[in-house]
Amino acid sequence: MTLVFSLLQQMSVFLVIAYLFTKSPAFRPLTGETLPPRHKVILYFVFSAFSILGTYFGLPVGDAIANTRAIGAVLAGLIGGPILGLAVGLTGGLHRLSLGGFTAFSCGISTTVEGLIGGLFHLYLMRRGSNRDIFNPRIALTATFVAEAVQMLIILLLARPFADALALVRVIAVPMILANSVGAALFISIMRDQKGMYDKFGVIFSAKALKIAEKTLGIMGRGFNHETATEIAEVIYRETGVSAVAITDRQEILAYLGEGADHHIPGNAIGSEQTRQAIRENRVIYADGIHEVFTCSRSPACPLGSALVVPLQVDNEVIGTIKLYERKNKLFLSLNRTLGEGIARMLSEQLLRYRYEDQKNLLLTSELKLIQAQINPHFLFNALNTISAVISEDASRARDLLLHLSNLFRKNLKRTSDISTLEEELNHVNSYLTIEKARFEDRLVIEQTIDPELLETRLPTFTLQPIIENAIKHGVSAMFGVGIIKVTARKNGPRVEISIEDNAGTYCPEIKEGGLGMNIVDKRIKNLYGRQYGLVIACEPERRTAITIVVPAEG
Amino acid sequence: MIRALIIDDEIHARNELEKLLDATGAFSIVGKCANAVEGVKAINRLRPQVVFLDIQMPVIDGFEMLGMIDREIMPLVVFITAYDEYAVRAFEEKTLDYLLKPVAAERLSVTVEKVRDHLQKREHPAYPTPELTRIPCVKGGNIKLVPSDAVEYAVCSPAGVHVYVAGEPYFTDLTLKAIEERTPLTRCHRKYLVNLGAIEEIRLQEGGGAELRTRSGATVPVSRRLLREFKRTVGL
Repeated sequence: MTLVFSLLQQMSVFLVIAYLFTKSPAFRPLTGETLPPRHKVILYFVFSAFSILGTYFGLPVGDAIANTRAIGAVLAGLIGGPILGLAVGLTGGLHRLSLGGFTAFSCGISTTVEGLIGGLFHLYLMRRGSNRDIFNPRIALTATFVAEAVQMLIILLLARPFADALALVRVIAVPMILANSVGAALFISIMRDQKGMYDKFGVIFSAKALKIAEKTLGIMGRGFNHETATEIAEVIYRETGVSAVAITDRQEILAYLGEGADHHIPGNAIGSEQTRQAIRENRVIYADGIHEVFTCSRSPACPLGSALVVPLQVDNEVIGTIKLYERKNKLFLSLNRTLGEGIARMLSEQLLRYRYEDQKNLLLTSELKLIQAQINPHFLFNALNTISAVISEDASRARDLLLHLSNLFRKNLKRTSDISTLEEELNHVNSYLTIEKARFEDRLVIEQTIDPELLETRLPTFTLQPIIENAIKHGVSAMFGVGIIKVTARKNGPRVEISIEDNAGTYCPEIKEGGLGMNIVDKRIKNLYGRQYGLVIACEPERRTAITIVVPAEG
Repeated sequence: MIRALIIDDEIHARNELEKLLDATGAFSIVGKCANAVEGVKAINRLRPQVVFLDIQMPVIDGFEMLGMIDREIMPLVVFITAYDEYAVRAFEEKTLDYLLKPVAAERLSVTVEKVRDHLQKREHPAYPTPELTRIPCVKGGNIKLVPSDAVEYAVCSPAGVHVYVAGEPYFTDLTLKAIEERTPLTRCHRKYLVNLGAIEEIRLQEGGGAELRTRSGATVPVSRRLLREFKRTVGL
């Protein structure tokens, strides 16, 4: 009975060390979801140390040692799998072997086996998919219980003389099985609690980060200025709870919130050397308030004592900074430090994205302008020739054609960012087709089938025009026979399909690649309605080309 | 009266030019064509003295069309264009004249003088024409452009000129002479041209002639008169 108490007493010391271990950085590897090989090596050393400590803390019983060596080996196996368990068991076992005594050999073997038993429990839990149970104290209790029972059997089997072994087991079996099982259970429960704390910390962190991300999303889209900086500073100030938040561009303070707002005034030039350094060297500057103190350059009465300065960058070019401050007597939380850096990175990425979108739109507009400009002279020449020829034959028709021509050019003056209805687009295109029909006469047949309910469908202005122009310029103009252009608009479930088909089939390769302006038309539809809409191109060489505009049905 | 042919793919342009030409009193319009294929046919049949030729036409443009005309019957050519003035300028020295659409009557009178002048000199017009890479043919009522290097041989019969591709005959309005002048096909007989690359076997015959067997198994005669030169060409 005394042995039980002494062992439990030893175990208490052991557990205190275990507790300290969970507070140390060596515990970090266990807080993740998976164990990379490097972390397994760390665990090997930690648990081997525990196993050896268990032997040293043991109590001599005759020639043998009653001990808590098993805990290290079994837990190593349980947490890290059979290989880690074996390795730790073998290390602990070899160490025991080196100490001598008539059970040295059997104890060496049995510790190795115990590590393996822990590993088998690990495998079993993984197979069942109950990974979380690895840190369940009951499982640890059971595993150690089984392992220790096996150890006793091994001592009986291997230790000689058998009579001594039997006598020893009689004395140590109950205390050791009990002490080791309970010890392992307590150890694992300490680890579980600590791990839980890490998880909870992580959850709080993620929640804050997500909230800030959600609230700042889109603000940067309006540009980087006093107004947007103030909005973002407000979100950061509220969510992090730091003493003050500032956002600067390269020269001046754009926004400031929190303590010291009386002398940190938006519009003022950047005062602190830390900020200038962060901008100059494009790196995070951290004055933690202990090793390095933040000293306000404006007012000696400033309550702020620590600061984190994170540069905001677009394309590797620093465009400003975000600064988080804490009061002199307040600790700068490492949580806030990580958050601050994360926010700056996120905002930088948002800025980059918006700048990219901006340039993309600019490019699109100018490309479109270019296409319009390219088309006009040739078309105009042809139209004027046709009209000049028609005048002598049919003056009123010539007048009608001139009206269509002027209608067409008036529409072409519209801004390219405008949205038009299908009706307006058709009107525009009809002027064009009327003139081309007069030019080609019998060589051009136009068939229109438009569902009148779809006339209100919204399209980017100039969607139809380039497609029809291609059908004339590269289709009908490039074939010997009669060109037929079919324009149809119909509803197909939740989508509206407007198709332009010709019977020439002469420009497949160009438009399949998005050429002849087709990728611009496609991009503009996608910008307006989303990726699942746009142009669908189908063609059979020498037979037909069909371009279908797919947009969502209204309402 | 000067016999003139109008080739333009736009009906209004044809009609208007016809009126303008009539008004000069110098021309009799022998025909109006809407594309290059019709144009070649009409030139071969009607032998106009001058052709008013639109440059921008479907599939075969004015320049390419000139390459389909026999040099012997090449008429004077007046190019017409709505734009692309620069393309004609590159051609200007070798061409008689060019007109810009819409055609102004005053400008046309200058052209009339040039045409008269030229016809009086009785100079034979020679225009630099590109190699003929495709031969316009009619098959089943449709116009087909046959790549010249795919042709095995061409034959002239009372039914017209046919080019043979993989054993299949294609009717064309081009003359054998025009094809000989501007494609790598070689004359081997008064009525035959052959693609040297398509010859599989040459069988010499008693009496001085020869017979060629082509890739697709067709037989092409080599006339006695041309055999010597033909042998030299193929390196025998």
